[in-house]
Amino acid sequence: MTNRDEAVMAPKFGNVPKSSARRKQGRVAVAAEGWRRWWPYYVMMAPGILFFLIFHYLPIWEARIAFEQVRIVPPNIWVGIKHFQVLFSSPVFWQVLANTLIISAMKMVFFLPVPIIVALLLNEVRGGSLRKFIQSAIYLPHFLSWVVIAGIFIAALSPTDGAVNNLMGMAGIAPRSFMTDTGAIRWVLVFTEIWRSAGWDSLLYLAAIIAIDQQLYDAAEIDGANRWQKIRHVTLPGIVPTIATLFILNAGMFLNADLNQVINLSNDVVRSKIDIVDTYVYRIGLQTGEYSLATAAGLFKAVLGTMMIVIAHFVSKRLTGKGVW
Amino acid sequence: MALSRKTPIERIEYAIIVSTLLLLVVVTVQPILNLLAVSLSEPAKVPGMSGLTIIPRGLSFEVWSVLLQHPNVQRGIFNSIFITAVSTVIGVVGTALMAWGLSRPGLPGRKALFILVLVTIVFEPGIIPDYFVNKRLGLLDSYWSVILFKAVNAWYLIILIRFFEEIPKELLEAAELDGANPFQVFWHLVLPLAKPALATISLFYLVFHWNEFFRAMIYLNDQGKWPLQVVLRQFVIDGDKVAIVGANSASNNTGASQIDLRSLKAGMILLTIVPILAIYPLILKFFTKGTMSGALKG
Repeated sequence: MTNRDEAVMAPKFGNVPKSSARRKQGRVAVAAEGWRRWWPYYVMMAPGILFFLIFHYLPIWEARIAFEQVRIVPPNIWVGIKHFQVLFSSPVFWQVLANTLIISAMKMVFFLPVPIIVALLLNEVRGGSLRKFIQSAIYLPHFLSWVVIAGIFIAALSPTDGAVNNLMGMAGIAPRSFMTDTGAIRWVLVFTEIWRSAGWDSLLYLAAIIAIDQQLYDAAEIDGANRWQKIRHVTLPGIVPTIATLFILNAGMFLNADLNQVINLSNDVVRSKIDIVDTYVYRIGLQTGEYSLATAAGLFKAVLGTMMIVIAHFVSKRLTGKGVW
Repeated sequence: MALSRKTPIERIEYAIIVSTLLLLVVVTVQPILNLLAVSLSEPAKVPGMSGLTIIPRGLSFEVWSVLLQHPNVQRGIFNSIFITAVSTVIGVVGTALMAWGLSRPGLPGRKALFILVLVTIVFEPGIIPDYFVNKRLGLLDSYWSVILFKAVNAWYLIILIRFFEEIPKELLEAAELDGANPFQVFWHLVLPLAKPALATISLFYLVFHWNEFFRAMIYLNDQGKWPLQVVLRQFVIDGDKVAIVGANSASNNTGASQIDLRSLKAGMILLTIVPILAIYPLILKFFTKGTMSGALKG
């Protein structure tokens, strides 16, 4: 869920103008004239374009090692889909894929409603400075790295002196080592995700709420609607498009269960429960050195992920008018 | 609605709403304040300290002074600042220049360039090909691997293009009629007008680079080049005590190793957050505004 907020912020591209009546002129002459006028822009864009070509397109070319046998002395040998066959016949890979889907599904069900509720509650707070104080506090974790957040939660979930177990102790519940508990670790992922981003994400819904026409509230008031009726009949319908957009966009990112989060909250005891495609690629690729197999797994995820994002984009565009880009 | 008109039930409702939100604030902030309390307590009194408290036991800056004097930490601070500063400058300059070109409606090849950028958003071949590109370019183990790699962010580029597109055409045309070339228009007209947008994406880049650890972890073998996040990870997540305490002091049980590991970890985590806290008012101002207006425009 890394780029979720940016995804919503990012406006659509402007209309790209169709080539006009100029087509009748000689193409070469047009190109020459165009170049005289536009070359300075290309000079300015050159570094950016180069960055994209080198750091985004060269990797696509390098990904061919998924189809090759890497040899210490080049060149590599083309082996076709051999690594994909190995991958698809490996139970570990299917386990990892299942973990990814389970974690994404859990986040979708249990994370998504939280920022909506937070936004609805925040919208009811009338005092400007009280509201600002609450917002300032709950937005903060979004700007912390997963290394930091993992550090905070390893401390807070410690069985001996962590806040959670201290609280449970006060209620007479036996301490539990959540970080090394295979039954709890996926919930740790869900909860830390909520802790990190539910506050910040509420901003997106809050923006949608603020955009609702005040006259609707005034009318509801005249009709004698109370707080809950106004939320139910004015606010919620008003933010349904935003909810739908974010839901669909999240569905598009389903295979991104967040490498940075998992890699920092994982350990040997619970790995089997939260090993996702990305951590699997990292482990067998960069740690074990099975470059081709790892790249094949990465490519599989990339192709499937691209299809899902593109589908999500068009579904969202169709239903709500907002897309990924 | 005037306060006096509120019924008792409405007041109770309001109290429930505010308490729920304040509980959220506590859940968000308490774990951080607890670490602060642990790091500021007298090291000898830390064992047995509750995870719930936010008040230090005694007051001591020993943990912080040990950390700040530690060569690995000092090195990490320097590396983080260096990498973040240079990457942010390169990122903002590259993004702004490219966005300026792409925001001009008549630019030949504009659509093709948009597609070039869009493809990178939806299709990422993964970390292994990235790693090999770095290797092929000879960037491994160099600061430049972290600084240059994917220096221009496609999302921030789109945000800036959108902003540039909203600069009134008349202004740009007037400047062009006065004989200003595209470089001059960009420098004297576009950049000053885009200050809020530039501030926003500068902060995006700043926060992103400060928090980045994964690339540094896989591209930089040389521990002397590690940013703070990677040092923190080695110490707190991997539990590599020697990383901070130092092999020497660990075996002699002197210096840093006399301090409870828990308070060292707490201090290290907070140290890594300090810059984010320092610019947090700016983050609130620009991120919030950017997100709100973006969502409104949608």
